[in-house]
Amino acid sequence: MTATFSADSGSRRAERLRLLAQPIVVLVVLAGVLVWAFSRDLDDIEKRNLNASTILDLTWQHVKLTITVAVIVVLVAVPLGVLLTRRWARPAAPIVLAVANIGQAAPSVGLLVLFFLFTGHIGFWIAVLPTALYALLPVLRNTMVGISQVEPTLIEAGRGIGMSATAVLRRIEFPLAVPYILAGLRTALVLAVGTATLVFLISGGGLGVLIDTGYKLNRPTILVVGAVLTASLALLIDWLGGLAEALLGPRGLR
Amino acid sequence: MSLWDYVGSRWQQLLLDSWMHVSAVVQCTIVATALGVLLGVAVYRSPLGSALATALTSAILTIPSFALLGLLIPVLGLGVRPTVTALVLYALLPIVRNTIVGLSGVSPSVVDAARGIGMSRFGVLSRVELRLAWPAILVGMRVSTQMLMGIAAIAAYAKGPGLGNVIFSGLSRVGSANAVNMALAGTVGVVVLALVLDGCYVLLGRLTTSRGIRG
Repeated sequence: MTATFSADSGSRRAERLRLLAQPIVVLVVLAGVLVWAFSRDLDDIEKRNLNASTILDLTWQHVKLTITVAVIVVLVAVPLGVLLTRRWARPAAPIVLAVANIGQAAPSVGLLVLFFLFTGHIGFWIAVLPTALYALLPVLRNTMVGISQVEPTLIEAGRGIGMSATAVLRRIEFPLAVPYILAGLRTALVLAVGTATLVFLISGGGLGVLIDTGYKLNRPTILVVGAVLTASLALLIDWLGGLAEALLGPRGLR
Repeated sequence: MSLWDYVGSRWQQLLLDSWMHVSAVVQCTIVATALGVLLGVAVYRSPLGSALATALTSAILTIPSFALLGLLIPVLGLGVRPTVTALVLYALLPIVRNTIVGLSGVSPSVVDAARGIGMSRFGVLSRVELRLAWPAILVGMRVSTQMLMGIAAIAAYAKGPGLGNVIFSGLSRVGSANAVNMALAGTVGVVVLALVLDGCYVLLGRLTTSRGIRG
């Protein structure tokens, strides 16, 4: 058991239940809320914020940010994790993990605000970088755990039949670590969607804008639509992550 | 003004915010533990019940905290009520999951032996099973506390208590001399307090684990 954030339920049955029920519940609730909101008499402010083009725009900003963060996280954390499990780098591993763990304890909103204040800029990349930093740890840790849990006898056997160290890594260690990496990626996605909700604070856009507008202008309809859209998006992305976990692992381990 | 000057001149306010932050997180963890253990005890014998409970609580954890606050504000207003509700809901998954894992990890022969010497069903649960599951439950509480420390900072948006207020104040004073100091003090404060609480859990684990299973 690790003492860190993971949205994984840790139970196979629960996972199967979520894979099945989650998208259905989400789509039904989302459709219900949208129908409720658009069948009401909307005033000017509500009409300006609740229309198809605004909603699609903000959703796309949110998705784009999440995908960019996920790509950066995979490109940085997986190679770094693999590197840190090589024999010559092993002494550095606990130090990197400790630093990453402390970083994870920092509140995401604090990281965003600090990054914005330090750089003095706003925009897409100012929002992406702290979010990626924040979502890095689960993938990094799981890559390291995944590779170090591979049985030494398997590596030995690989070397015994004449495979090079690189071939052992590529054909034995890495494939066996893939389920762990995917689980880490799913957690990273959940963290990224959540943090992307806050980037409106530094003018980064995303669905948080709707929640903020509804709150500041005292329009509960906008607030609720924004919150439900955000929650639905997060649950759907998490569902895709779960699907990837179920389908992309090596066939022998499924 | 340097960070040290800022902290030196505002330490009373910072101390108060820190105290409110920790106090809210600890109280919510305790409430969530009571609810989570009850829920875990209720479902751990049924595979379907366990799956439902963990699936539901893990779906809750997936919802961004800012969206959950947004949903709670129209219903519960601002301040303590949405903050506590959101924090308790987020703390549930690790505790429920670990309660179920801990309870179902108790060996059936131990339970049989306890029944055999004449203990009631409740006696077995409270004096054997829950005590053996306690280390796992404690790990769940520890994870929840770490998570809540960060989420509580966001609750300041809904006028919740704690160090999040310092961060948001820093944001609203962009360009002024103290903006960075405030955001830095709030963020570092949360990290330091989280580490302190983590240490407390290690101590608590030593003190409250039954002697027989202490490592």
